[in-house]
Formats: sequence, structure tokens, C-alpha cells
Amino acid sequence: MIPLELYILLASTMFTIGLYGLVTQKNGVKLMMCIELLLNSANINLVAFSAYQPNVNGQVFALFSIALAAAEAGVGFAILISLYRQYGTIDLDTINAMRW
Amino acid sequence: MYADYAYLIVALPVLAFLLCLFVGWHLPRGGGFLTVLATFAGLILSLGIFSEIYPDKIIHQSMPWFANFNVGILIDPLALVMLLMVTFVVTLIHTYANGYMNGDPGSARYFAEAALFTASMLGLIYADNLLQLFIFWELVGLCSYLLIGFWYRKPSAAAAAKKAFLTTRVGDVLFLAGIILLYNNLADLNLALKPGEYLLQFPVIYAHLAEIAPEQLTLIALGLLGGAVGKSGQFPLHVWLPDAMEGPTTVSAMIHAATMVTAGVYLVARMFPLFYAAPYGLTAVAAVGAFTALFAATMGLTSFDIKRVLAFSTVSQLGFMMAGLGVGAAVGAFSVGVSMFHLIGHSFFKALLFLCAGSVIHAVNTNDMREMGGVGKYMKWTMYTMLIGSLSLAGFPLFTGFFSKDEIILIAYEYGTMINFLPYIFLILAAVLTAIYTFRMWFSVYTGKERSDYGKHESPMIMIGPLVILAVFAFGFGFAAQDDFYDYLGSNFDNYGVDFDHLAGIGGHPIAEGEHGAAPAEGEHGEEAAEAAQGGHAAAGEGEAGEEEGEGEPWYIQILPYIVAIGGILTAALFYWDRVKKFDPSQVTGERDPIRQMLLKGYYQHEILTGWFAETVVYGTALICNVIDIKLVDGWLNWLSAWVMGFAQHVRKVQTGVVQNYVTALVLGVVVLVVVITLGMEVGLV
Repeated sequence: MIPLELYILLASTMFTIGLYGLVTQKNGVKLMMCIELLLNSANINLVAFSAYQPNVNGQVFALFSIALAAAEAGVGFAILISLYRQYGTIDLDTINAMRW
Repeated sequence: MYADYAYLIVALPVLAFLLCLFVGWHLPRGGGFLTVLATFAGLILSLGIFSEIYPDKIIHQSMPWFANFNVGILIDPLALVMLLMVTFVVTLIHTYANGYMNGDPGSARYFAEAALFTASMLGLIYADNLLQLFIFWELVGLCSYLLIGFWYRKPSAAAAAKKAFLTTRVGDVLFLAGIILLYNNLADLNLALKPGEYLLQFPVIYAHLAEIAPEQLTLIALGLLGGAVGKSGQFPLHVWLPDAMEGPTTVSAMIHAATMVTAGVYLVARMFPLFYAAPYGLTAVAAVGAFTALFAATMGLTSFDIKRVLAFSTVSQLGFMMAGLGVGAAVGAFSVGVSMFHLIGHSFFKALLFLCAGSVIHAVNTNDMREMGGVGKYMKWTMYTMLIGSLSLAGFPLFTGFFSKDEIILIAYEYGTMINFLPYIFLILAAVLTAIYTFRMWFSVYTGKERSDYGKHESPMIMIGPLVILAVFAFGFGFAAQDDFYDYLGSNFDNYGVDFDHLAGIGGHPIAEGEHGAAPAEGEHGEEAAEAAQGGHAAAGEGEAGEEEGEGEPWYIQILPYIVAIGGILTAALFYWDRVKKFDPSQVTGERDPIRQMLLKGYYQHEILTGWFAETVVYGTALICNVIDIKLVDGWLNWLSAWVMGFAQHVRKVQTGVVQNYVTALVLGVVVLVVVITLGMEVGLV
């Protein structure tokens, strides 16, 4: 059986990559992908802990989380599409109407 | 049995008010008959109560309201005569108004407001405590505002309504201050009240007056007097009353005769023991009353507006009533009877005069007496009923006004012999002027040539009817009711066991030093006065026979009222009746005569109050206040908000609109939190 540490390592690597992308990327679609990375790293953690502590609560929770991620992706891409229609770009640096 | 339904006297007009207000415009004549019926039912009830409790019972019903207050009905002789008078006079006025207001688009509103006006006045009369009285007092003020401004599209009417409201408000504030002061003083006594007794109930006030400190009593009395001065149009708060002519004439009749200005006199009469016990209380009342009586009478001499003449005469007659109460310092509670008698008599003939004036105005379509003249040819009924009213007002012997005014002048003389002759002199002069201006009005309206082309027709029967009934009372009431009236009203405060002898000691009145106690003195005096008055009748018939019966007053004092009344009427005839005209008024005083100008302008009150006082003193103060308001009050607030705005200008830069910045801030925040919590765990704080 693969040791728990490896799962945690994988999850934290994914989380860091996602966070790095979130802070540095300017393309809206890339941001969405980074958010997916963050969510899924959390899911890996949930499933791994659930498997090592014999009980299915974590896996059930991960299922909820996936459903939530799907909904979030739906809404997010809808916003991006309408932003694209409005501005002709999804570069978030140029879309800054909601600032001071 | 009738007493159980006493509350209906107020409830029915309130019902009429609601009906007229909401469904009045579906009813013929704006539902005026409802108002008449409601008031008439009140008259029937009052008569029933009168038959039950006359001559020596009172009705007192009360129920708790909140805290230390109650609502209740108190019908004693004082309230009873007022109830009878108001319901009677107002029924007639409402009947007349059915003719007068016919065709006015706002007649439903008129009758609704008139019904509420009546209801509030009736409620004021039989309130059993000062708080309740004050509430109805304010309602009366409100209704007068609504009715004076009835034709609110006319700017002068709207202005007059506002003036009336604001002027009486000055008095009302003083009145409220008086009530609060009285309440505090009574509360400080820590009285052991029986169940059903409340601090501001009149019987309780009467019973515990003597325990309050005299200087407090004076303050309270001055506060209450302030309210009365405002409501009854006494100097210096009389300015609203002549302007109140802007409403329909029936409103003037109601205000002047029954439902408004009498409230002030009634208040003083109601609180008479308090005024009596307060040092300087009655002196102030007498001074205000006597001065107003003369002051207003002089202004009545020069006015050309028929309703303004009557308005000034009302102010003057109210001055008589106030003075009549004020000289009670010399004669005790007897003066309440005398003053109330004048009030009742006055309400008959003043209602009559106003309704007659309304009848003339209805036909002629102007208020200006210079455009009338010779109206008598076309309006016989109005002319003769108005003649009766005028004779009564002028105090012609055997008419109501003669008995009542004569008696006030006589007790003023008595006051003079004991304390001070000034009120007497003022009142006598005012009486002369009353006779002159009344007949100046009558002669110039009804006799002589037609001075303009006016409508020439008599008013409809629905308007003439009330005139005739009122004329009967304006003539006969004084003669018929005088003796019993004084006895009945004089006994008013005996019902509560008010010890005037003791109160006189507190107030420092001379009667306390007399050889007999106050209460028996009152009774005796009532009889004496009655005799004196009978002596007066005899004198009218037999010349000198009456004079020897007088009790102390010299013969010239006894007959002076006759001379004054008849002399005044003759003077007016010499100037204004074309048949016997000897002088032209302009020969005596030219157009430019300073005194004439002064009287015509009402002692330059408008110039002083509006021109000088309002425009320099008030405006100057307002300017200063404005500066303080802008620089100081608003200033620091504006500074504070400007500072906050400036700070925000810097802080808002945080919102860059770049998503990455937000994310970075979020991550940094989480990192800081994690670090802090971890460190805290290490140290053992968390």
C-alpha cells in the first residue's frame, strides 16, 4: 500500500502549483484551471485520509466537493464567456471596471 | 338617567364628524343635518341633566386612563350652564350654516370640522381633570385653525389660520407649563389619594390648593392665565382674533360666541380658587381684562369691516369677563357668577350679531360698511334682530347685556373701593365706547342711502329662524335668569368645600380681614346684588326710587351704566344716523388726525409686530442663529465628514480591480494567520 505521506506530498504539490498559477496568471481560463487544481488537491487529501482511516465519510465528502467544483466551473466559464463578449478578451488585467 | 348618557354629548358630534368627513359628499347639503341633529341631541341631554341635578347636585364619573391620570366627566353648575349655552347656540349656528354654506363645494368638510369643533369644546367643558381639558383645548385650537383657513386657497385665509394657530400656541405652551408645575407641586405633597382620585382632578386640586407654596401658586396661575389670554384673545395675544374673520361667518359666530374664545374665560373660572389663592393671580387677571376691554373697544371705533367691528367687540367683552373674574379679589366666588353670566349673555347676542352680519354679507356680498347703507329697507328681519343684538351689546337697560355688564361694572367699583379704581375706570370707558361703536355699525349698515349697488334680498327662512330665536334670548335671558344664575353659579365651589376664607388669607385679599367669613359673604352678596339689580329695574321705571336701595354705592355709580349706554347710543346717532345727524365724523377727526390713524391701524400693532419686531429683532436673531448653525453646529460635523472622506480616498486604492492582487492578499493573510496560530500554539496561548 502506498504510504500516506506520498498522497499528502502529491496534494500539496498540486495545491502549490494551483496557488502559484492563481497569483501569476492573467488568463481567465488558466485561473479557472488553477482553481480546479486547488480543489482537487483537497479532494486527494480527503480520499487518502478516508482510505487510511477505514470509513467512507471522506470519500462522500469528496463527491460533494466534485459536484460543487462542476457547478463552480459552469458559473465561472459562463462569466468568462460573457466577459469575452463584452470586452473581446479574457485577459483579467484589462478587465478592471470594479476598482476604485 | 340622563347622567348615564352624558358621554354622548361629546360622542354624538364626533360621530357626526366622522360621517360628514367620509360620506358627507353623498348627502344633501354636505350632511349638515347630521351635525345639527348631533348638537341638538346634546342640548336635549344637557337639559335632561339640568332637570336632574338642579339646584344642588353634581355629576362626577371617572375611569382610570394611564399612570396617574384618568378620564372623567364632571358636571357642576359651572360646566352645566356652559353645556347648555354651547349646545343651544351651536345648534342654532349649525342650522343657520345649513343655509349659509348651501352650495359651497366644501360644505361636507365644513360640517365635519364644525362638528369636531363642537365636540372638542363640549369635551373641554365637562372634563374632570386638567390634562383632559388640555387635550380638548388643543383640539379646539386645531379645529379653529382648520375652520379659519376653510377657504384655504385664499392666501389671506391661510395666513389668518396660521396666525391664529401660532398665537394661541404661545398661550398653550404657558398653559402646559402651568399644568406641569401644578402636577409637580401636587405630587410633592405626597397626598394619600383615595381610590378613584387622581392628582389633576379638579376636586383634588381644589382640596389641596392651600397646601402649595404661595409663590408656586402665583407661577401656576400666571401659566394658566397665559393659556387663557391666548385662547380668549386678551392683550397681547389678541392679534389673531380680528384676522380670524377670514373663515365663513358661521365660523366666526362659533368662535366668538360659543366654542373657542369662551374657553379661556371658562378656564379661569374653573380654576378660580387657584387664582384666588395665588397672590397677584387675580390682580393679573383684572389688569389684563380691564386693559383689553378698553384697548379693543377703541379699535372697534374705526374699523370699516362689519365683522372686524364685531371681532373687536368680542375681544373687548372678553376683557369685561376677565376683569369680572379678576375683581373677584374683592368679592370672592360671586364674581364667577357675574362673569359667567356675561359670558352666557354675550354668547347669545354675539352669535346673533355675527349671524345677522353673515345674513347681510350673504345678501350684499361685501364686508365693507362703506359700501352698505340703507340695507334695512330690504332686510327687515335681519335689521330688527340685529337691533336687539346691538342694544344688548351696548347695554341698553332691560336687555341681557345691560344686566351682565352692569353687574361687572358694579363689582369693579367695589373692587375699586377696596383695592384699586383703575379696572373700574377702564371698564366704564370701554362701556361708553361699546355703545358708540355698536351703533355706529348699526346705523351705517341699515340706515341712510345706499352707497353701492348691492344684492337686495332677505335671507332664506333657515337663516332667519335662528336669528329670531337668538334675538329672544339676547333680549330676555338677562331679565329672566339673573337672580337664580348668580346663586347657582356662586354655589359652584361649595360643592367641593372650597374654603375661600382660608384661600383669601394665602392670596392676601382684603375679604379675609372682613368681619364675616367668605362663604357666607358670598351668599349674602348674591342676594344683595340681586336686590341691587332689582333696584336697577325700579330705577329704570321710577327714576330715583332704586338709588336708595343700593348697598353702599353712591347714586351716581348706580345710574352711570344707564347714562353710559344711552349716551353712547345717542352719540353714535348724532354722527351716523341720517335722520338726526348733527356732526360729520370727519369734522371731529380728519383723515390725517394722528389718533384716528393710530386707531385705524390698530395701534400700529402690525407695524410694530411685523414691521419692526419681526423684521429687525426676529430677523436679526435669525441671522445670528443662522451663522452659529452653519459655522458651529454644522461646522464640526462637516469637518468630521470631510476628514473621513479624505481618509477613504487613500484607503480605496486597495481595491485595484486586479484579481491577482486580491488572491495575493488572501494567501498572505492565510499565511500570516497560520504563522500566528502556530506560534501561539508553541507558546501556549491558543
